[in-house]
Amino acid sequence: MTLTPLNAVFLGVILLLVIGFYGLLITRNLIKIVLVLQILVKAVVVALVLAGKASGNLGLGQSLAATVIVADTIVAVVALALAVQVRRRVGTLDLAKISTLRG
Amino acid sequence: MTAILIGLVIGLPWLGAIVLWLTRDEDPRLQHTLAVGFSLAAGCASLALIPFSSAETAVRIPMGRFFGDLTFTADGLAVTLTAIACVVGSLAVVFSVDYMHGEEQLKRYYAFVLLFIGAMTGLLLSGNLLFMFFFWEITALCSYALISFYNDDPKAVAGGIKALIITQVGGVGLLAGALTTYAALGSYQVADLLAKAEEIPAGLLTVIAFGFLLAAAAKSAQFPFHTWLPDAMEAPTPISALIHAATMVNAGVYLLARFYPAFESVSGWAFSVMLVGLISAFITAVMALVATDLKRALAYSTVSQLGYMVYAIGAGGVLASQFHLLSHAVFKALLFLAAGSVIHSVGTRDMRRMGGLGSKMPFVRNVFIIGALALAGVPILNGFWSKELILEVGLEHSPIWAYGLMLLGAGLTAFYTFRMVWLVFFGTGRDQLHIHSAGLAMKAALGILAVGTFVTWLSFGNLNGLLSSTLPFHEIEHESLLEMMGMVISAPATWLALLVVAIGIVISWIRMRGFKFFGGGWLDPLVESSFGFDTLNRIITMGVQKLAGQLSLTQTGILSWNVVGILGAFLAVLVFLIWSA
Repeated sequence: MTLTPLNAVFLGVILLLVIGFYGLLITRNLIKIVLVLQILVKAVVVALVLAGKASGNLGLGQSLAATVIVADTIVAVVALALAVQVRRRVGTLDLAKISTLRG
Repeated sequence: MTAILIGLVIGLPWLGAIVLWLTRDEDPRLQHTLAVGFSLAAGCASLALIPFSSAETAVRIPMGRFFGDLTFTADGLAVTLTAIACVVGSLAVVFSVDYMHGEEQLKRYYAFVLLFIGAMTGLLLSGNLLFMFFFWEITALCSYALISFYNDDPKAVAGGIKALIITQVGGVGLLAGALTTYAALGSYQVADLLAKAEEIPAGLLTVIAFGFLLAAAAKSAQFPFHTWLPDAMEAPTPISALIHAATMVNAGVYLLARFYPAFESVSGWAFSVMLVGLISAFITAVMALVATDLKRALAYSTVSQLGYMVYAIGAGGVLASQFHLLSHAVFKALLFLAAGSVIHSVGTRDMRRMGGLGSKMPFVRNVFIIGALALAGVPILNGFWSKELILEVGLEHSPIWAYGLMLLGAGLTAFYTFRMVWLVFFGTGRDQLHIHSAGLAMKAALGILAVGTFVTWLSFGNLNGLLSSTLPFHEIEHESLLEMMGMVISAPATWLALLVVAIGIVISWIRMRGFKFFGGGWLDPLVESSFGFDTLNRIITMGVQKLAGQLSLTQTGILSWNVVGILGAFLAVLVFLIWSA
């Protein structure tokens, strides 16, 4: 596989995905999980633009990417707000401790 | 003009629903007035629409590539049923003014009633299968909300959920049919499906035809889905009248009648339709024989009469089925509303506790008897003409055993109908019941429907003209009222049917005097379980619940577990792609 610009971007997407999933697996802190999820979503945004470029439909890819960015920002804000609430109510951000509070 | 009227017929009830939702609870008078006003206006608009009916598409709104055009067509079939839905619906609303007097949460009640009427008219007028499905689902939602209107009563909630689930099963059939049509023709238009039915490969057409049959059977509470309608009796009585006569259950019959020309050629379809109607008509007539709950007995009779209509469509008698639908809508609304005023007066639905009410409420007794005579098929009421037409079609186009069963069903109908009349209005009072008199609004609605029961059959010629001139794909011969009357009166089958009906009435009279009337026989346990179909329903719901319970084990709530799942699925897709490439 030669390193054309498209391929380079593709590798970047895969790299971001790997980082994201690795992070999700090892992280226990709620705030960090939100950050890791952001990395995953950014991988998706880049992938959308890439797919648009590769299929000759760049405008479509870009507009979808913009939509994802907007939606994702809201998700991030709400997730962080929830994290703050969890910290206040439960007193910890450690996922392992929170998930023992099932019921 | 047609477009404006279509807009009014669908828009007025929905606008009314929104306006009512915004009113304040402290002012029930305003809510009653608004509901009556909006529904009567819609009723007038629907009547005004009749002269404008044509096979042409009246409204066309482009909705983008996927949905196709949202079209509305006001052809004869649609305008007739729209008029039934709006007029009978508005009479049910008028009746509610007295019946629901002093109830809480009136705006929820009226808003859903109006939404229901609007959705029904939308379903009837829509010329786009996908939007027909949307309207179809809105009617299912409204029926659920209204059946469980008394939402602190577990039986009402269970009845509503049962109705919702069963009609959803039917909705899946309709959606499958609509999507298959799109796959085959690239269009959701009803007119396209009717015009190009032969171009669709036989296998796909079979899927569409039986999908629609499933939808119709579930909506019209036909075998094997006949279990939901009796349980829907927990609703306030005007709602029962609305569901049974004006909206909801007519939708299934409408669907079959609408697409009959397209599916006629599908092997086994017409026969299946006939069989579904036959079985429903017969077994629910048997169930009505021993019912002790006044409303349940009426509900069984509705399923039975719908069975007659479905049977007629299966035998090719689209006109006969629509004529019976019109008659049935009027006399069944009359019977339900009259039963409602009895129930409202005495506070119970149990016929074993009633008896001798006739002398205390003569008006209600008289109109109930008119409705009962029409249901039994006694001349010259509207039920007589339409039922005779159905039996005539059955004699010509169905096996003789099917005709025989339907004839027997007519006798059973006469028997259970008059059993109800004797039990409720005649004999001696079996229980000391406190009786209120019926209010003015109740009497007005009942009076109009009673007159309708006498006269709607006179519109046969107009109905026939409407259907034969605006339905290009249905082969309906034009026949005037006088020709129809001559045919019915001169046919020997009519006299045979009348004999059977008379025997039914006489037997019910004999049994009333001295014989046990309240069941207690071998039929009761069978009827109690709807011939085992209630058990079947229960087994299915239990199975689904158990499966869901077991599947919930996979939902651990642990993040790493989910991530592993995502990655696993990711890998599986990757492997599949590489392997297939």
